[in-house]
Amino acid sequence: MIKIFSIFFAVLLLFLIIVYCEYDHGIAPLPGSLEATIYFRNEPPEDTQGIYLVVAPKFPPHAINELFHSPNSLPIDKDTVHTSMELPYGHYEAVSLWYYSTRTESNLADILAIPLDPDNNYLPLSFDITPEKPVYKTEMYANWQRVNRDAAIEGTIYFNGPFPENTNITAISAYLYEPEESIEFLLWLKSIDFSINENPYKYRLPVRHGTIRHLAVYWLPDHAALTDFKLLGTYEDPNNPGQSGRLSTAAGETISNIDIYADWSKIKP
Amino acid sequence: MSRLFVKNFSFTLIIIIILSSLELFAAAGFITGKILDSKTNEPLPGANILILGTLYGASADLDGYFFIKHIPPGHYSIRVSMIGYRSFTQKDVFVTNDQETKLLFKLEETAIEFDPIVISAGKVKQRLDQAPVSLSVVSAKDIKRRSATNLIESLETAPGINFIGNQISIRGSSGYTFGAGNKVLLLLDGVPVYASDTGEFNWDMLPPLDIEQIEILKGAGSTLWGASALGGVINIITKSPSPKGKLLFNFITGIYDKPYYKEWEWTDHNQLYYTRQDISYSKQFDRLGLRISAGRFKSTGYTQLGDFTKYNLTGKFEYRFAGDIKWTSYAAYSFIDRGFFVQWKGQNDPYEVDEINLNNYARTNQINLYSKLAIPFSPRFAINIRASLVRTLMGNQFGEGSGFNPAIGQGLEFQADWIPLYGHMLTCGLQYQLDTGSTDFFGEHKGYFLGPYIQDEWKIRENIRVTTGLRYDRYQLINGLKEDMFSPRFGINWQPWNTTSFRASVGSGFRAATIVERFLELSIMNFNIIANPDLEAESSWAFDVGFRQHISKNWNIDISLFDNEYWKMIEAHMDLIRGQVQFRNIYRARIRGIEATTNFSLPIKFWKINSTYNFHASLTAMDHEDLKWHEPLPYRPNILTTLKSSLHFGELQIQADYRYGSEIEAVKIYPINDRVPMKFLDARISYNIWKMSFQVGVNNILQYNYAAMESNLMPMRTFTIAVQGEF
Repeated sequence: MIKIFSIFFAVLLLFLIIVYCEYDHGIAPLPGSLEATIYFRNEPPEDTQGIYLVVAPKFPPHAINELFHSPNSLPIDKDTVHTSMELPYGHYEAVSLWYYSTRTESNLADILAIPLDPDNNYLPLSFDITPEKPVYKTEMYANWQRVNRDAAIEGTIYFNGPFPENTNITAISAYLYEPEESIEFLLWLKSIDFSINENPYKYRLPVRHGTIRHLAVYWLPDHAALTDFKLLGTYEDPNNPGQSGRLSTAAGETISNIDIYADWSKIKP
Repeated sequence: MSRLFVKNFSFTLIIIIILSSLELFAAAGFITGKILDSKTNEPLPGANILILGTLYGASADLDGYFFIKHIPPGHYSIRVSMIGYRSFTQKDVFVTNDQETKLLFKLEETAIEFDPIVISAGKVKQRLDQAPVSLSVVSAKDIKRRSATNLIESLETAPGINFIGNQISIRGSSGYTFGAGNKVLLLLDGVPVYASDTGEFNWDMLPPLDIEQIEILKGAGSTLWGASALGGVINIITKSPSPKGKLLFNFITGIYDKPYYKEWEWTDHNQLYYTRQDISYSKQFDRLGLRISAGRFKSTGYTQLGDFTKYNLTGKFEYRFAGDIKWTSYAAYSFIDRGFFVQWKGQNDPYEVDEINLNNYARTNQINLYSKLAIPFSPRFAINIRASLVRTLMGNQFGEGSGFNPAIGQGLEFQADWIPLYGHMLTCGLQYQLDTGSTDFFGEHKGYFLGPYIQDEWKIRENIRVTTGLRYDRYQLINGLKEDMFSPRFGINWQPWNTTSFRASVGSGFRAATIVERFLELSIMNFNIIANPDLEAESSWAFDVGFRQHISKNWNIDISLFDNEYWKMIEAHMDLIRGQVQFRNIYRARIRGIEATTNFSLPIKFWKINSTYNFHASLTAMDHEDLKWHEPLPYRPNILTTLKSSLHFGELQIQADYRYGSEIEAVKIYPINDRVPMKFLDARISYNIWKMSFQVGVNNILQYNYAAMESNLMPMRTFTIAVQGEF
């Protein structure tokens, strides 16, 4: 009886495995795609390493690895590029074109193009990939000048104490306007440098010439999301202490002695 | 005062050891005997005989005879074992002075060996059911059954084991750290064989044909085995030279099927195959035994850059001097030339790589050498001396990585086994390991371990064994940091009945960071690897409680509960904002769970033909947690299951294996990629005719597409043909 039961059990188990697996083949090709036509203006900077199409299910993203990106660089020597990227079904809150330089670390400010939605307060254009509409088409306009940092700001950052042990990144960022909502921290970012690691720290931040209305030091603890940067200190208007200082740079110009005081008490212990 | 005490103690110890050794020349008897197959009455050359409670043993000669001399008078239990046969223990064997005690053993052939002899639990031979720790064994028969082409295929169906890329994990011990720094110690006949700069394992270092059995010690095991035995130990036991001349060969070919999805086809699939050929010869010439093997493994791969050519050449030499002193030397050379598939081009082109990576090729040369001298002074005292060398040269890897120079690991170990009092088995020793690694980027670095250890196995009663051990290790990085580690251990095994054993153990482990983890600075594919010279050693405590029951002669179960606690665990920290990777002491972690295995062998009669149905099932259910951030540990599944069944119908065998692993909860590089559970079903039919075995099989029958690590798909359905012979 035990023998018959055992054999029956084994055959039944095998049968169940086969039936179950017949309908399940694990990882499958992605069913949808984004087709983008990108129009370029001006010439790429000499230190261009590559450009990548990036799609964000959430914007701003919590982490860089929450983004879908094209596996390799798009051509950088053409005026117009047609490209496509496979995606799973879902809702996507932004699509953008990211620039990588050979000279600097991966730079959050290096968004070469990001389509905005005029019907939605000029927030990044969102889209859906569905079984009914598996292909989404968009156009993007990329101006190489946006990532051509032809000016610089330099100065010293003074901290009122040592760096906390859980420091992941301390950065200096330049913004077109002072950001208030989390989405503006990425959209208005002109340049950022993550390499601050000593007190005092002498910085040199390359920027695109023009106006900067907010220059500040931010801190990110270990294991935090991209949206969790905390403000430590701002470059203040010498004539209006407490207000963000406004800086204007011309092409090829370096503005010096732009010192910032960073206060660790602004972050919660 | 203390100096005087040490002097006196050392003197007393030496006297005791000398007196123990003098038993060699004291009154003694001897045992002779013959070992036969119970059905055919044919002799069983190579069968192992062990006098339990002593350090004495022997192997049967060509005619099945054995001879053990210099045995002090007394009552003994004799254990006889051989691969493919059920082990047998004869109790109350009486040896008298100057008298011959004659024995005859008839061993019964079995498809499953329930309690084989193992060495990894206590560094001395013992029965699996008498070990205080959880152990699994993969036998040569299992390896042949799966037509394994390398060590990974030999191990992947063992309970609690899973692989992420080339990295092995025992009960979730390891995640994925780009091959650098394994949390498991790999041993070849008890000798460490990791690359001394990266800590990587070369899973192709020897042909599967050379393997007698693989022992998998689960949980920390640094007390006896030293550094790197953080999450467990894999000990590969190689075959000894055969008493009579034996020629073995093994030809295996696999042909990859088309991908399941037509849009994934990337080349003419008829061109994708692998082929492995191995040949081995061994013979015992009186006191000298020799074994040589050569192998070639070539594959086109199933992906772009998946192609490789591998060569193996191994040799084993054994010589018995007078007084049963045994000298063993082993040499293994492997050469590997392979493409390096780092990640797929995209989920819609999973078998292809980016054009910019098409030149990623790696070439590895590795030499493993060891020499061992075993000197049995008496049935109660023996010394083992081991010397080893592992030289690894990696080249052509990722362009910049071609600046690697030969990495050399040298080891020396002195071990003494001593039975000072009845029921006590003392194992102590001193181990030294010097690791050197150098590249063009970080210069040359050296570090050494020096560790004395001691363990006592105390047989309180016939059925209760208590094991206590302690080890101290000093790790010194030349011109760098030094670390001191203590690794205690406690274990108990209780056999209330012959069919039941309970075990409980607490053990500790540590692993010092490898030279590459500390010093490597390199740019690979948009990532910068940053050095961290201050990396501290990671450590662990393993708690294990287990129960093993023979429900009948042909059916057993084994259940264990485990809790592995980790401190300063070293993981690759990914800073994706800056594109940096750095090895860091990241967290305190805990992995706990339950593991259950069962084996049964059921004799059945089909149309008057004697048949046997064998079944093996294992389940490992784990909960793993990063205790700092309260998150699951990356690259670890929660459930691992293996089902293996085979029907032996005369000379015909039908086999099926199923492996399941739950979906990995957390990964580090592309968490947004699709993740699925692991589900593989393999089946084979083999037929034995004369001294040869023919096998056809299909791996991944159901065309399941699985990626253990992101952007790396496992092989699609593969048709295999194997021919194995033994002359």
